Amino acid sequence: MSKIVVLGAGIAGHVAAAHLRRKLSKEQEVVVVSPNSNYQWIPSNIWVGIGRMKSKEILFPLEPLYNKKGIGYKQAKVTTFYPEGDKETHKPFVSIEYVVGEQKGQKEKVTYDYLINATGPKLAFDMTEGLNPGTNKAYSVCTYSHAEHAWHALDDLIQQMKKGKKAKILIGTGHAKSTCQGAAFEYILNVEQELRRHKVRDKAEIVWIANEPKLGDFGMDGMLMSYGSNIMKSSEMVEMVFEDRGIKWIIGAGVNKIEDGIAYYENLEGEYLSETYDFAMLIPAFSGHGFRAFDKEEKDITDKLFKGFMIVDADYTPKPYEEWSVQDWPETYQNPSYKNIFAPGIAFAPPHAISKPRVSKNGTSISPSPPRTGMPSGITAKLVADNIIDIINGKKELHHKGSMGNMGAACIASAGYGMTKGSGISITTFPIVPDYKKYPDTQGRQLSKTFGEIGLAGHWLKMALHYAFLYKAKMKPFWWLIPE
Amino acid sequence: MTQRISKSKRFFMMNPVIQFFKFIWLSLRILVIVAGGHGGTRKTTTP
Ligand SMILES: Cc1cc2nc3c(=O)[nH]c(=O)nc-3n(C[C@H](O)[C@H](O)[C@H](O)COP(=O)(O)OP(=O)(O)OC[C@H]3O[C@@H](n4cnc5c(N)ncnc54)[C@H](O)[C@@H]3O)c2cc1C
Repeated sequence: MSKIVVLGAGIAGHVAAAHLRRKLSKEQEVVVVSPNSNYQWIPSNIWVGIGRMKSKEILFPLEPLYNKKGIGYKQAKVTTFYPEGDKETHKPFVSIEYVVGEQKGQKEKVTYDYLINATGPKLAFDMTEGLNPGTNKAYSVCTYSHAEHAWHALDDLIQQMKKGKKAKILIGTGHAKSTCQGAAFEYILNVEQELRRHKVRDKAEIVWIANEPKLGDFGMDGMLMSYGSNIMKSSEMVEMVFEDRGIKWIIGAGVNKIEDGIAYYENLEGEYLSETYDFAMLIPAFSGHGFRAFDKEEKDITDKLFKGFMIVDADYTPKPYEEWSVQDWPETYQNPSYKNIFAPGIAFAPPHAISKPRVSKNGTSISPSPPRTGMPSGITAKLVADNIIDIINGKKELHHKGSMGNMGAACIASAGYGMTKGSGISITTFPIVPDYKKYPDTQGRQLSKTFGEIGLAGHWLKMALHYAFLYKAKMKPFWWLIPE
Repeated sequence: MTQRISKSKRFFMMNPVIQFFKFIWLSLRILVIVAGGHGGTRKTTTP
């Protein structure tokens, strides 16, 4: 009998737990440890943030589902890793702390045979002075509660605009090393459309601020894509959309401080500038959770497990951008020191960025960190689950592999809500990490699988994905037929 | 605001009938990319 402990119940953790439970016999134990009581479909937070969806439409409680399916669940957060056990406990374990109820604050050792660390990122608002969702007129849509809060503030501003107030709205990244530009991109387009719907568009100046060196970089070094019968750069596509919607932009900007209605930033030219606003939504830096690890003698071995995020089978040798290759990216998400530990989704430490690193004239690094979106998070979680199942069934090698350098991703960016007035920008890329050797003439990507489309169908597709992925996450009949 | 999307293109983008077919086409195209699978990038040395 094996015990598999999954840390985190986001996209990666939940996908891994669901597949493990479906494919393993009941003698094998699957336990999820996560501080969140609800599963949330994060991509739809954008619509919560414009008041077009209620939080309850994008979430469901985990405990009843896990009870029904025979998945153990501890509403707790992991704090420390003991991959060899300690002096008293001779099995590997993680130390957890309960976060609710009577057990709140209680610590427990949770032993495991296999550990899946799917704890995603820490939303590191503290890395930008003054950036804290709901203060200084700056908000976030990274969780459903943040998004609800953002909508209340935006709605308030819309009401003031209806009375004649002129307002400035700033949306983008809140740190020089932020990632997830895609989410901010969706939000700015949705906000712009909502202002038109509320007939106050003429009262608002809307500004995009981002650490991207060019529009449409998205932390993926930009893309060359087919668009209808044309071949277009992602920078050109985003520029076309922004100009058409009257959205201004500031790029190469590392926001470093927020005061009430003012964002201070440094740009790649080395200038220190500021931008005022009446409402801002800024994506924070994502960091590791600061976990620590100890060996059985209780010696600190954090650097065997973590490099900010968790160390996996990537090539972490520091090298210049020109020497980066897809082979640097992990394939199995297995920790090289402790082979029974895996880290899919955002929890793994990437070998380096995807976008070319850029430094301001003052030496400040201003460029996006690599994104790991929902689709690769789900795919990597499933392959980790499949490899663990294989090992339990006696296989010696890890057969399931999925490098982001050999994996496609579809990103359907909402560009406005509404069954007839909505819009979506559907972008697919293959591979996610550009392979400049294999596709030297098309900026590292296969053009037949890297395309962009704009229109109402994109909105319907995003809606369809919302319902399909919530159906899947609720583990309803035949859920596993829906791909990650 | 600078008009960057022509009226005919906008009609195409927002016409529900045309977009219904686009929806089917997009869903299939994305499914093909997803179903196209994934794998490693490193050469494995066979013993
Ligand atoms: C607003 C927004 C919109 C997005 N839109 C899209 C989109 O349209 N398409 C797309 O593909 N991707 C999108 N993404 C990205 C997508 O949400 C992420 O790729 C995905 O959530 C990553 O999954 P994950 O499981 O690795 O991390 P998460 O989803 O962040 O899950 C991490 C889990 O770990 C838990 N956890 C944290 N700390 C601990 C701890 N100490 N112990 C135990 N558990 C812990 C958390 O509670 C959570 O359950 C969006 C992201 C945002 C913020």
